[in-house]
Amino acid sequence: MSETRKAGGPQQLRRIGWAFLPIVVTAAFLAVLPPVWFGDSPYTTSLAVQALVFASYGVGFNLIFGSTNQLFLCVGALAGVGGYGAGILANESSLPMAAGVVVGTASAAIVGGTLSWIAVRRSLGIIFTGIVTLVFSLGFANLLLGQRDLTGSETGLIVDGVPADLADDSVGGYYLFAGLLVAFLIVFRALQLSHVGWAFRALHDDEVAAELAGVNVSRYRIYAAIVGSAMIGLTGALLAYSAGFISPATYSFDRVDVRVLVMVAFGGLGTLLGPVIGAGVFAVLDEQLSASLELREVLYGVFVITIFLFFRRGVVQAFVSLFDRFVRPGRRTPPNLQSSRE
Amino acid sequence: MRAVVLDGIVLGLAFGLLGVGMTLVYGLGGVINLAYGQIVIAAAIVASLVIERGESQAVAAGVGVLAAVGLSVLLDLTLMRPVYRQHGEERTLLGLLLTLGAAFVIGGLLAWRYPAGALYIFVGGDPISVIGVPMSVGSIWASATALAVAAVLLVFFGATTFGRGVRSVIQDETGARLVGINPSFVRTVIFALSGALAGVVAIAQSMTGPLTVNAGFELTTFALIVTVVGGLGSVAGAFLAGLLLGVVNALSAHYIGQYITTIVLLGAAALTILIRPRGLLGR
Amino acid sequence: MLEVAGLAAGYLGERVIDGIDVEVRTGEAVAVIGSNGAGKTTLLRAIAGLLPRMAGRVVLDGKDLTRSPAHRISRTGIAYVPAERHLFPAMTVKSNLVLGAYPRRADRDTLELVYDLFPRLRERHRQQAGTLSGGEQQMLAVGRALMAKPRLLMLDEPTTGLAPKIAQAAFEALEGLKSGGMTLLIAEQQVPLALSVADRGYVLENGRIRLSGTSEELDRNPEVRRAYLGIA
Repeated sequence: MSETRKAGGPQQLRRIGWAFLPIVVTAAFLAVLPPVWFGDSPYTTSLAVQALVFASYGVGFNLIFGSTNQLFLCVGALAGVGGYGAGILANESSLPMAAGVVVGTASAAIVGGTLSWIAVRRSLGIIFTGIVTLVFSLGFANLLLGQRDLTGSETGLIVDGVPADLADDSVGGYYLFAGLLVAFLIVFRALQLSHVGWAFRALHDDEVAAELAGVNVSRYRIYAAIVGSAMIGLTGALLAYSAGFISPATYSFDRVDVRVLVMVAFGGLGTLLGPVIGAGVFAVLDEQLSASLELREVLYGVFVITIFLFFRRGVVQAFVSLFDRFVRPGRRTPPNLQSSRE
Repeated sequence: MRAVVLDGIVLGLAFGLLGVGMTLVYGLGGVINLAYGQIVIAAAIVASLVIERGESQAVAAGVGVLAAVGLSVLLDLTLMRPVYRQHGEERTLLGLLLTLGAAFVIGGLLAWRYPAGALYIFVGGDPISVIGVPMSVGSIWASATALAVAAVLLVFFGATTFGRGVRSVIQDETGARLVGINPSFVRTVIFALSGALAGVVAIAQSMTGPLTVNAGFELTTFALIVTVVGGLGSVAGAFLAGLLLGVVNALSAHYIGQYITTIVLLGAAALTILIRPRGLLGR
Repeated sequence: MLEVAGLAAGYLGERVIDGIDVEVRTGEAVAVIGSNGAGKTTLLRAIAGLLPRMAGRVVLDGKDLTRSPAHRISRTGIAYVPAERHLFPAMTVKSNLVLGAYPRRADRDTLELVYDLFPRLRERHRQQAGTLSGGEQQMLAVGRALMAKPRLLMLDEPTTGLAPKIAQAAFEALEGLKSGGMTLLIAEQQVPLALSVADRGYVLENGRIRLSGTSEELDRNPEVRRAYLGIA
């Protein structure tokens, strides 16, 4: 494995530099996007914020499913734990926004970690993990609907204490979430390059071999779940404050999980920029089909089928491979930019 | 209390058939068909269209069931081919994802074309008294239909050569091939059978109340819960679990509340996976 | 009756056996011997249609079965009893036997014949196949294959997991079948037993035919004696 190469100082720095280059490029791109593209339209800004939110969800999901094969069909619910945790705290107490965000994030991390722990303890395979997390998703949604007093049920919850310049259709909000996404990408990449990332790759490829090589598969799974869930919960909590209003629909399985799954699969499961590219593409697509929710559903279905039949490693990766084969035959992509899937 | 339990049984019979349909497909091919609820809805919409054209409800019911069968066979012959080429967990995962996609395509198309689509089969007559509880004629018909179908299935699997062949494929696919059974053909027939069951559930449910075009995901969820609790692959288990969960649903909805009821059912599925993964009657 | 020419087969693109020429004439018993990993199971599975054939031909009485899937090969008269048996565990002994005749209905006479051959199965005809002992399961697997009234009976390591006395009894039963006119192809690690029943044999090594001949020839062959009979 290339990661175990013992390189000297400057060479290693250069490799790390290369590894983080995509993030720097992305950050630069995101930084200049508003003045170039949005004009002054709050509508476009809110769309961009939505895309950023989903990209952030995607990075967390990527860490959990892409890296350690845990099919967590509860991304929306975890975001909801963060969002409602923060929102309820904001409304029921006079604690500042930071506290709400911390509580929301921590709660999501605990829930995600617990789910992973349960899956590990009961040796649940991918399918059963998926079903159990799906059950949690639906159960959580019902819980939100049932606890009228606390959550406002379908009518939703207005979150107090929202700073106006961080609203989800303002430039401030945009930069908040852009910064969040970049931070997540840095964390993801750093993990990939560390011994944790090595362990993830080992257990992703062959669990038994990894165990035999000394990797404590269970522990790394739970780590991944905790970090990924924290990311998702943090995003959900910040969204609650930024949007100022949340409802069960904000975090429902239909709205969130399906979209995240398709989008990350499109961009490439387990890759660094997969969620970002996927979020961008689907933001544009959603705009085009904003007229008909049902047709959008049909399109999602077609995408799901096409991606999992023909583009297992993501549409993006397929293009990259094609590009590599025709334009640069014989040249492989540099090892440290490879996805954690291989 | 008796009334609630009887209502639960009526619902439970439908749950049971739904579970049987889903568990058959899993038992034979390791595929969890997440588009199952949409197939039920498709049958309902087709039947409602036939009624709109002036045909009798009986004819509409027949056409609806046939539509469900046709749709299922189409699904099996197209999407399932690449799925069956995989094995084990890979197969189940791919099957799950592809049928999820199919669910969106079917559901989305139906909702788009028939946004107000619904099927309601009206069976007239005064309520009939069953063990002291007045039951609507529609409910009685629904239950009778479900029970009749269940009886037919029993005979089919227990006594006919083909039925035994199906059981053999579930128990040992290689052994089945060695005695001359074509698992691929059996799987297609069973997919068709599961479609027929979906159609029957559509008809039966619509006799107790209108079945609307967006009930698909909910139906799939119920089918999945029943299948898991009954034991993936066990036909008897699915039927039993269906009855049980139907009664639980009715009791819980009546005495506690709607949202908690759904949580209870979901919890049953989760508990089964965590404590007794092979379900009630699974191996 | 059975002609195999240039057969190659294996797993995941790798050829485990290659260039196999085997012939089984009507009424004879042919043994395929070789150590573990030599490819005996691969060969039988390829003939039975459970493995795709990567090269060569399989012809039964003039009918080319090379492209046929397992279930169709079973219906043309080749019955295969694999080492893992692949019985239907939750079904009774009787149901397993009845299914052996698929797609035809089980013949009462044939069923009686099987029960006569294996009286233990008659005793346990209502018992679930999964609860039988190793020897009984082997009997049931052979019985199930016989229910199809096959022209060629192939067995893969029929003595696996059987105590020596039962293994002996199993081969005596096979001897009985042979004298009743059944054509047999047996893959077996226990060479003396195999050669005692067989008329001819093939020695498989590293996926290729190393030697072939009548069972007397093979028994006398010094290489065979050294490698498989432990005689210096």
